[in-house]
Amino acid sequence: MHDEPLLSVNNLTVDLLTAKSAVRPVDGVSYSVRQGECLAIVGESGSGKTVMNFAPLGLMPTGVTTNLSGSVRFDGQELIGLAEPEIRKFRGKSIGFIFQDPMSALNPVRRIGRQIAEMAELHLNMSPRSAEARALDLVKLVGISDPAARLRQFPHELSGGLRQRIVIAIALAGEPKLLIADEPTTALDVTVQAQILRLLKDLQQRLNMAMVLITHDMGVVAGAADDIVVMYAARAAECGPVDKVLVNPRHPYTKGLINAIPRRDDPIGSEFRGLPGVPPMLGAPIKGCAFAPRCELAVAACTRIRPSMVPISDRKVSVACSVVNQGKAAA
Amino acid sequence: MTHAPVLKVENLQTRFKSVQRGKYVHAVDDVSLELYPGEIVGLVGESGCGKSTLGRTIVGLEKASGGRVLLDGVDLSGLSGAALRNSRRALQYVFQDPYSSLNERQTVGEALDEALLIGGLRSQHERNRRTKELLDQVGLTHAIKDRHTRELSGGQRQRVAIARSLAVNPRVLICDEPVSALDLSIRAQVMNLFLRLQRELGVACLFIAHDLSLVRQAASRVYVMYLGKIVEHGPSQELYDRPSHPYSQMLLASVPVVDPRVEKLRSAPLMVGEVPSPTSPPSGCRFRTRCPLAFDECARSTPPSYGLSPDHNAACVFAADLYGGKRSALVRQGAG
Repeated sequence: MHDEPLLSVNNLTVDLLTAKSAVRPVDGVSYSVRQGECLAIVGESGSGKTVMNFAPLGLMPTGVTTNLSGSVRFDGQELIGLAEPEIRKFRGKSIGFIFQDPMSALNPVRRIGRQIAEMAELHLNMSPRSAEARALDLVKLVGISDPAARLRQFPHELSGGLRQRIVIAIALAGEPKLLIADEPTTALDVTVQAQILRLLKDLQQRLNMAMVLITHDMGVVAGAADDIVVMYAARAAECGPVDKVLVNPRHPYTKGLINAIPRRDDPIGSEFRGLPGVPPMLGAPIKGCAFAPRCELAVAACTRIRPSMVPISDRKVSVACSVVNQGKAAA
Repeated sequence: MTHAPVLKVENLQTRFKSVQRGKYVHAVDDVSLELYPGEIVGLVGESGCGKSTLGRTIVGLEKASGGRVLLDGVDLSGLSGAALRNSRRALQYVFQDPYSSLNERQTVGEALDEALLIGGLRSQHERNRRTKELLDQVGLTHAIKDRHTRELSGGQRQRVAIARSLAVNPRVLICDEPVSALDLSIRAQVMNLFLRLQRELGVACLFIAHDLSLVRQAASRVYVMYLGKIVEHGPSQELYDRPSHPYSQMLLASVPVVDPRVEKLRSAPLMVGEVPSPTSPPSGCRFRTRCPLAFDECARSTPPSYGLSPDHNAACVFAADLYGGKRSALVRQGAG
């Protein structure tokens, strides 16, 4: 039982159908997270990184029909195919969420203390009194000074960093085993970002939670995550341990992304390195490799055959690129 | 770059009425800066430090409550009517979000045509010619002019927004976080466009951004702003190598690095707390509440700006020590 990852996603495909269009934002992605580990999911907007995590938990906008296939096993239970009332038992309890914008994640007209206590009452069946006590503990846990006074305040009275700490306290109220953090520091300044990341990392280790960190910022990944999945156009391009993938990226897209980050030794006024072209529009699944039109390694076969994730060298890193994998086979 | 600055901002102040009666928010407090023809200058700081307000005040989107903005030596506050409109044309603004700065009902051609017409180009034939020229300049194909702006990607929209601001042949572009809404892989393309415009058209850019590494590479000089004041400014290379204000030092040290081997060694975050409210800023040096080097004197008087080398100034009593490496704000603080 201890060997099984807490969350294991296998060949997950998400189709979204609206009245006008059909898109497939997630196309056959697999990954897993063990207890006490942090997995970063990195991708640009529209790469499917958010939908992949939220769709299996029923967090999709109304008016959209979501079709899921594949498997999402959490704590020994299959989530796909579960009815909404069943999923609701996980959401906010054993799976906690942190959203990007702390202002819109909080209720502006209710006091902080009540918003945290509410979660403890709902998920842990606590009495209002003991839930208030738990709220106080949680606010201390997330490192807020003068906790008792903060509980009586409203969200608008707090700064962005403090609000995000409150959102984290709410996410922890149900004693989650898994924390899903969607761009938790994107709305924050670089100095506050460092504080919040450190807090998340500490909490994850102290409470022995699993964490999925969704982000577009490679710098955030380097400091916080153990493993990484790089997404491109609804598919996984590369996955593996952070200290392998970021130091020695193999997929041309991962390489390009890391290469595009300005470095301290770049001469002032020099050209910025980037990737040519633009990411594909979501729509019908792409036949070959989605990155082929922007890839300098692409050969004719790339546009015809979809590359599969192949483990390479030490088997910890997997890459979905026929050219890279071909080279490995030949070497 | 020995000639006169194209844009000169002198002791500019912008204040807003606070919700608390009789109180004011000093968003921009006594800021001076210069922009020479054909240079890119960075303006960095945390959100709420007043960097956008400063940009907006320079172009006249906010009313200055003190100080002057001089364009080619002409004080804009002394102008009105047609003279002001003509001067303003030389000063254009590129907004952060290309999803809200363009009219989604217009085609790209209409959006550019409108800007050209307002710029005083009467002949339709001339405007068509100029539209094509603008599309070339920002690296878009001519065919895109019949597409609606809503059909475009973020990168394309930002190029259209830049083309629109170039329509009136500006001398100065104020770019407010022009690439932060764009994906990393597209960012470099738009940044390179700015570099090219600067080279080919000689447009001067004030580049407002929070992404420090982006600014370092693009800008020849950088201004660092904290709570409405410029705390340090200097040539990029020197400012990034030898930051001489505690705030600049800590801001630069907070930028995460992509290498996990470096990040795993990182100690506790240096900067504690957050920016204080600009309604009641700290007395004396505004950074003293977060500064590890602060002592009694810092609360009493606002530190003057100390010259460290030609064109490198920092407003801290320890500036010379910090510049000389005799002191550093990057010491571990107690658990705070």
